[in-house]
Amino acid sequence: MKRFDPGLIAATLLLASFGLLAIYSSGGSYFFFRQLIFLAAAIGAAAAAVFIPRRILYGLAEPIYGLAVLMLIAVLIAGTGPGSHRWFVLGPVYVQPSEFAKLTTVLLLAKHLSYKRTIGLSFRDLALPAAIAAVPSLLVMVEPDLSTSLIFAAMLAAMLYWQGMRPLHILLLFSPALSFAAGFSLYTWIPFFVVMGIILLFRAGVRNALVGLGVSAGFGLLSPVVLASLKGYQRARIMSFFAPWFDPHGISWNAIQSQIAIGSGRLIGKGLFQGSQKRLGFLPNRHTDFVFSSLGEELGLVGCLVLLGLFFWLVRRILLAARQSGDSTGSLLCVGFAAIIGYQMFVNIGMLLGMLPITGITLPFVSYGGSSLLLNFLMVGLVLNVISRPE
Amino acid sequence: MAARLTRLTQVLLILLGVLSARLIQLQVIQGARYARLSDRNRIRKLVLPAPRGRILDRNGVLLADTRPSFTVSVVPTELTDSALPLLAHMLGVPESTLQAQLAPVAMFASPVNVKRDVTIEEVARIEELSFRLPGVDVRVDPVRRYPTANRYCHVLGHIGEVSEDELKHDTSLRRLDFVGRAGIEAQYESMLRGRDGSEYAEVDARGQEIGTLREKHPEPEMPGRNLVMTIDDRIQRLACQLLAPYDRAAVVGMETRTGAIVCLVSKPDFDPNIFMTPIDAETWDSLTSNPSKPFFNRALTSGYPPGSTMKPVVALGALRQGALYRDTRFQTCLGSYKYGNRTFKCNAAHGSLDLVGAIAQSCNTYFYQAGLRLGLDSLTAYAREVGLGRLTGIDMPGERPGNIPSREWLDSRYGKNKWGAGSVLNFAIGQGEVTTTPLQMAVLYGAIASGGRAVRPYLVARVDSAGLAIRTTVPDFRQLPMRRQDIEVVKLGLERVVEWGTGTGARVKEIDIAGKTGTAQNPPRLDHAWFVGYAPADKPEVVFAVLVENAGHGGTVSAPIAGQLIRAYFSPPESDSIPASQPADTSAAPQHE
Repeated sequence: MKRFDPGLIAATLLLASFGLLAIYSSGGSYFFFRQLIFLAAAIGAAAAAVFIPRRILYGLAEPIYGLAVLMLIAVLIAGTGPGSHRWFVLGPVYVQPSEFAKLTTVLLLAKHLSYKRTIGLSFRDLALPAAIAAVPSLLVMVEPDLSTSLIFAAMLAAMLYWQGMRPLHILLLFSPALSFAAGFSLYTWIPFFVVMGIILLFRAGVRNALVGLGVSAGFGLLSPVVLASLKGYQRARIMSFFAPWFDPHGISWNAIQSQIAIGSGRLIGKGLFQGSQKRLGFLPNRHTDFVFSSLGEELGLVGCLVLLGLFFWLVRRILLAARQSGDSTGSLLCVGFAAIIGYQMFVNIGMLLGMLPITGITLPFVSYGGSSLLLNFLMVGLVLNVISRPE
Repeated sequence: MAARLTRLTQVLLILLGVLSARLIQLQVIQGARYARLSDRNRIRKLVLPAPRGRILDRNGVLLADTRPSFTVSVVPTELTDSALPLLAHMLGVPESTLQAQLAPVAMFASPVNVKRDVTIEEVARIEELSFRLPGVDVRVDPVRRYPTANRYCHVLGHIGEVSEDELKHDTSLRRLDFVGRAGIEAQYESMLRGRDGSEYAEVDARGQEIGTLREKHPEPEMPGRNLVMTIDDRIQRLACQLLAPYDRAAVVGMETRTGAIVCLVSKPDFDPNIFMTPIDAETWDSLTSNPSKPFFNRALTSGYPPGSTMKPVVALGALRQGALYRDTRFQTCLGSYKYGNRTFKCNAAHGSLDLVGAIAQSCNTYFYQAGLRLGLDSLTAYAREVGLGRLTGIDMPGERPGNIPSREWLDSRYGKNKWGAGSVLNFAIGQGEVTTTPLQMAVLYGAIASGGRAVRPYLVARVDSAGLAIRTTVPDFRQLPMRRQDIEVVKLGLERVVEWGTGTGARVKEIDIAGKTGTAQNPPRLDHAWFVGYAPADKPEVVFAVLVENAGHGGTVSAPIAGQLIRAYFSPPESDSIPASQPADTSAAPQHE
């Protein structure tokens, strides 16, 4: 062993403890004990991940990526979920292939990006990494689970940046997709287009700016066309996933409930296990995606800030690990993991605070759920592997 | 690499800063307000139900609208254990029923409907005991009403409460909502339904509303679209009167040029209003055990042998193939026709007839021979080409195609070539296995009347939203393989039918009618009586198909009905013969009849 990082381990375990408390408070002992079992398994898996020779892991990157893609296809055919196909039900356990796909995609991306010294905005440089991220992302989008599918974009962006790509080029790379998503409403698309235009004019020169804006406009125009070609109920379904801020019924109710729960926690909270919103059954899925709302209600601003602090500490430790690693694949691996954790933390909490549309996404280490916990701990185990074992 | 680490850390800090700022806003700046909403008070999402669209006849007579009804709702999370038996008692439902109803929604904090159409007395009692019934509320909900009662049960269909399965698949539906189950109500469900609105109210600890929530603007409900039908209530009412003496019958009236359905009646009928309230077992049993099947729409889902109304198809097919000419005379009719060792009957000894005479007299002997000359395969192929055995495409669910017994069909039914040559003879006079619907016959005769142009029949002329037409049905045509000169011959025959042939019963004073009677055997019971005719004979505008089950001869039973309907269609509406349509009831009290 070369080095070890007790800070990283402490942050992880503290976050998981926060999760256990919140799950006990909002879900009861049944979910608490199940989560405890998951946690034991997850720690075991993390410990094993520390000792896997990374060369073997990198060698396996393609086959396990392929396996993850196959699972994502299979779950579309045979999976279940609320109005979607997200999980396999194996006896008492729900397996969510998209969790597994995140890990394998980071691994394969890290392997391929590490071959390159620099990355520019060229087809030769970007085609393969973009395809590696796009395949699972599109499959997850079909489930449909838009917010999870965007994780792949976040990790790709972070890893490209880490490998030296210019932020402006990253923006250009993602602008067609961003434009398409914004295009579901003029209210989101026009500001997007204006900001995009300003950035490009100042940073990319007139010719490149016009090309970039033209491509963006094309993709932006595509979304109303796609939308118009659908039947009414299909359109409603798509809109509620891609642009939930248009759905006045289903979604906003949960958002308001969540805001009231968090807001009513005030400075120091109502006290652990004392949340009334939660007790009255206002909060849906309150031990999974909405676990932060009960924490906010019971522990108040102080508790929330402590939690955010733990996340900062954790992600910061992972990024430091990325810098310390002498192995460029391992370094990229860490950045990808940091992107996953940072993205999920921001989207999950942001939606509960009423800043982002409500979609199903877990709060890493805290939300109830075996697949999610296992993945998060595996990531920590691999980070420890990267910093402790030279390749 | 250090610079990139710093940059990524900065991004992370910005994201955390945004979340922290929002947390401070919610928990510190607005904390007191949210604490109040959460502690002593609660918020509730109230649904503003959208009234279902109205349905009008072509002249604006109201066929379906909504009336207000008192609906009891419960906020499941607020209902106490002691309130449940009390509420069950007050609503007169078993406690277990109520429990079962609320079990799947036990975690809901917004009102769930539990009983519709409670009486004003029940409302008063619930209000009196409201302090013992936390979470129980009474609201006024729009409920479907059919002021025309039985007259349109098969056209409009009816609506029924959503099933668990539908609730799962369509999130815009709520418990106790109604959706179209048959007829126009089902076909145009998406137009009629509208969209419920919602409003968020702040309620105090006793469940009383104390104001709307300012975080969330109310979403107004969007009433369903109104439908303007092609039906003429005047004709529909007359058709119902004329069919009143019969148990099982159907009438279809249609404009020959457009396909607009003028009337569509099926007997027996039922009152669609019964579905709005829990049906008592007795009514339900009497409807479902009725051997005449009142829910069955005979006009387009039945299959009847067309009898002699089939003959014009045989004539047109044979003329087109050159198997027959206008002046062709076959073996003289002596009241029967011998084929092989079997004797096939005719309705009289007609002597020697040409085609026009054979149609007018409905001579079976003539058409047996015409059918033999044409051959089974050509006959079935032609019958299909002119639309028999296929759906007409009317804008109504449940239509059936009837049956054209082709060689393959006969083989599959009786075994290869195990069926007799008599099949073609039977087919030629519309007996045996061939079945059609009254709607198909109306479309077929409409096509003959208008020179071979078959229309797609339709019932909804226009979809209106707030008085503006948002969709108007455009007539749809298909040219049938009929030659103009052949049609003229057949039309002449059809005119003779009413002038001096088998259909004189259809004659009315002012208008020349052309048509064909049919008497379909239905052993051991009485024959089905058919008449399909159009008018005016020289310039057809409207076609009527009348079928009365087990009533005897088409000429004596169905032809007079068609004649009356055609006369009514062309006579100007007399002001005294139209009862004023019932105006929509807008008072808050529910109707109890």
